[in-house]
Amino acid sequence: MERITPQTEAELSDAVRDAALNRLCFEIVSGGTKRSYGRVTEADRLLDLSHFSGMQTYEPDELIFTARAATPIAEIEATLSARRQMLAFAPADWGPLFGEKSGSATLAGVAAANACGSRRFKSGAVRDHLIGCRFVNGDGEAIKAGGRVVKNVTGFDLPKLLCGAFGTLGALTEMTFRVVPALSRAPAIAIRDCHADEGLSLLRKAAGLPFEATGLAYLPAQLCALSTALHAAHLSQANGLALIRIEGAEDPVIDKIARLRDIFSKQNLTVLEDDVTAALFAEIGNGTPFRQHNSDIWRLFVPSTRAYEALAESEASFWYADWAGEVLWLGLPASREVEERLRKITAKFGGSAMLMRAGAQARSRLSVFEPEPPARAALTRAVKTAFDPMHLFNPGRMYEDV
Amino acid sequence: MLNLPVPDPQVMARRAEIAAHLRTIVPDGVVADDATLTAYDGDALTAYRQIPLVCVLPKTAEQVSAILSYATRENIRLVPRGAGTSLSGGALPLADGIVLSLTRMSRVLEIDIENRCIVVQPGVTNASVTRAVEAAGFYYAPDPSSQIACTIGGNVAENSGGIHCLKYGLTTHNLMGVELALLDGERVRLGGKHADDGGLDLLGIVAGSEGLLGVVTEATLRILPRAPASRTMLLGFPTVSDAARAVGAIIAEGIIPAALEFMDKRCIEAVEAFCAPGYPADAEAILICEIDGMDAEVRDAGERITAIARASNAHEIRDCRDNADRARVWSGRKAAFAAMGRLRPDMLCMDGTIPRRELPHVLSEIAAMSEHYGLGCCNVFHAGDGNLHPLIVFDVMAPGDLERAEAFGADILKLCVKVGGVLSGEHGIGVEKKALMGEMFSDPDLAQQQRLKCAFDAQSLLNPGKVFPTLHACVEQGHMHVHGGHLPYPNIPRM
Repeated sequence: MERITPQTEAELSDAVRDAALNRLCFEIVSGGTKRSYGRVTEADRLLDLSHFSGMQTYEPDELIFTARAATPIAEIEATLSARRQMLAFAPADWGPLFGEKSGSATLAGVAAANACGSRRFKSGAVRDHLIGCRFVNGDGEAIKAGGRVVKNVTGFDLPKLLCGAFGTLGALTEMTFRVVPALSRAPAIAIRDCHADEGLSLLRKAAGLPFEATGLAYLPAQLCALSTALHAAHLSQANGLALIRIEGAEDPVIDKIARLRDIFSKQNLTVLEDDVTAALFAEIGNGTPFRQHNSDIWRLFVPSTRAYEALAESEASFWYADWAGEVLWLGLPASREVEERLRKITAKFGGSAMLMRAGAQARSRLSVFEPEPPARAALTRAVKTAFDPMHLFNPGRMYEDV
Repeated sequence: MLNLPVPDPQVMARRAEIAAHLRTIVPDGVVADDATLTAYDGDALTAYRQIPLVCVLPKTAEQVSAILSYATRENIRLVPRGAGTSLSGGALPLADGIVLSLTRMSRVLEIDIENRCIVVQPGVTNASVTRAVEAAGFYYAPDPSSQIACTIGGNVAENSGGIHCLKYGLTTHNLMGVELALLDGERVRLGGKHADDGGLDLLGIVAGSEGLLGVVTEATLRILPRAPASRTMLLGFPTVSDAARAVGAIIAEGIIPAALEFMDKRCIEAVEAFCAPGYPADAEAILICEIDGMDAEVRDAGERITAIARASNAHEIRDCRDNADRARVWSGRKAAFAAMGRLRPDMLCMDGTIPRRELPHVLSEIAAMSEHYGLGCCNVFHAGDGNLHPLIVFDVMAPGDLERAEAFGADILKLCVKVGGVLSGEHGIGVEKKALMGEMFSDPDLAQQQRLKCAFDAQSLLNPGKVFPTLHACVEQGHMHVHGGHLPYPNIPRM
């Protein structure tokens, strides 16, 4: 496939206009780590945005930065951590799940795929932190949206719409994010040897406490055995672990841990050190257990209270839960039968099921995203057309004609 | 001057017929006489009034759908309305339009403590959401100052914030889902009690869309467990710069207070005369800082803030000892509008957001403008997130006062944009600021936003004349309308 690598926004606009004239469509890539995430895009040209890279302005006192869209997350995180700040949504490094290099994800790719880790439970998704952006639409126009301040209701919130749109609405060139202070302590309480039903219910209990937990995940025994982080903490034999991460300054964290110990005194508890906690939650957010496990992956989003029932009905044996059960990572085949089973679950409990990893054939045959009812599907197509009237960008990446 | 759509005399002549048809949908909820319609002739942007053609007050989502599909069929414009507390004229009616008032849809549908959410109809007031869940130890975080009156539907439309949004976010961050009635009467569910829908994040653009895209008929809101401890501190500074420096240092220290409010000297004087909250008389600026969390957390943050205040030359550092003291300190902040209202009969409350570091510069420029226009102005400021609320006082009966007040306000907002900020932090654009949209956005930027509007509302019937400086029919937008989601040029092969 022909690769086009624009160097400037003007060149990008020209490339889009040229494609429109010639009726050619693009697959947009930035870091290129998630090309097999989503439906299969049948494009004529590869639109490579990797030249749009580099931090432009970082204003630690204002808690914002603006960077070009294809800047690697690793570079952003290094810059932020030098000022003890971070992106609150915990950008996930999913490349290795798709056989790509670790650490190559970019701002635009993480935003387009809505790739967030465990902190999302407390801090929101990518869309809650992207406060402004520039992108080129399907008419080849460079568009500015949002602003450079956190509090803003000046026109429609287009940056939110571009997050999770899998590049179907426009090609991002520049992004402004808000950041948060990195807190000095981040340990976790691990509740050992609890069954999934009990573990998920303990996480829900913790979510309802005013401790502002920043990670609430459950790992069944099989997954504990696979975790490098847990191996280092001598917990790989645990028969199921419910994890509650607490962040803050030293004294408040000690206080919260002590209170959690009281509240969960009937359980088997271990306090995980900050470094173990960080490594463990990175594994959870990045889907690391699935790096060695060759199964297809579905992610099932259900209300927290329905997590255990949903899990049981999914019949998954290799799985784990994050966000207090609001997301279940399931190792299940990309088959028609499994799809129907999961769609039945979402119809019953509310939520959605997404086929995260599978071969190209399965991703063409099955609905990768939760199918939309007709009225919403019509709206989705109308919105797509409002940004990309000729359907030049990532055609078919989300739905058959979106 | 407001550049609203020209009323269609043919539609205006049909008032009786339209009212009669609406009565077949909502038998007990149609208002069509001018005397009663004055109750719906505007919102909290009091300078503009317009009697609507008719007002309809549905009680159910089905009725909302029926009203929308009728209006679409008959090509009649609609203005959705909550409590009418918008400060930007978002609910200003049209002479040939139906006001769709959602206030009778005011039921809490479901309280789901275990999933930490509540499902409400759009006419439920903001404050009653918290009331519904506080017995269980929970609350709803967004708290606009009009919270006892304003409705959740209006909060979603304007993406309302409030004093506590520095730490807990705006409406959009606490909105898990909506049921949205579209112009054709269809209702779609966006989000819900779960984290991800898959698909485009349409919920993200509905929040803050100022009633231009659809009508919210149900909302699912995130509720949070109430923090057990909180602490309010009053800090007085000899200069604006010192106060601004303290704000920057608190944020840089990694403390995110639940609230961090700034008042300038003119505001302090006005509220002291009004309700004597006991603010330091010699301060050029004060900060009211509230921190919440667990006991140890609040103690720790309080100590660090005290140290920062000292280092920033604070000459008054007062820790509110009890609830009465705390209520007194907050009473001054909450009475700022009323206190300024005593000075002159009318007031414009502006709403720009600026980078925090620009505060001293922006305040001194505003003082110079106040001099220039000969109109009083004081400043309250959600300091943590840079959201500035200059209050301009004037007398609408005094010749030229309104025009000068509006020009003054426009100058302030242009300055906000010039220093890197935006026109509106939480009040919305409405009719008030739409003429200034060009300060922030180019024509293609605005055309892109309007094409999004067209995707939801191809006939420009829902709240037209708001947000955008110019009116465009959707066909002028350079795009074919895609009916039912079918592609233009269906015969072109797309590989």
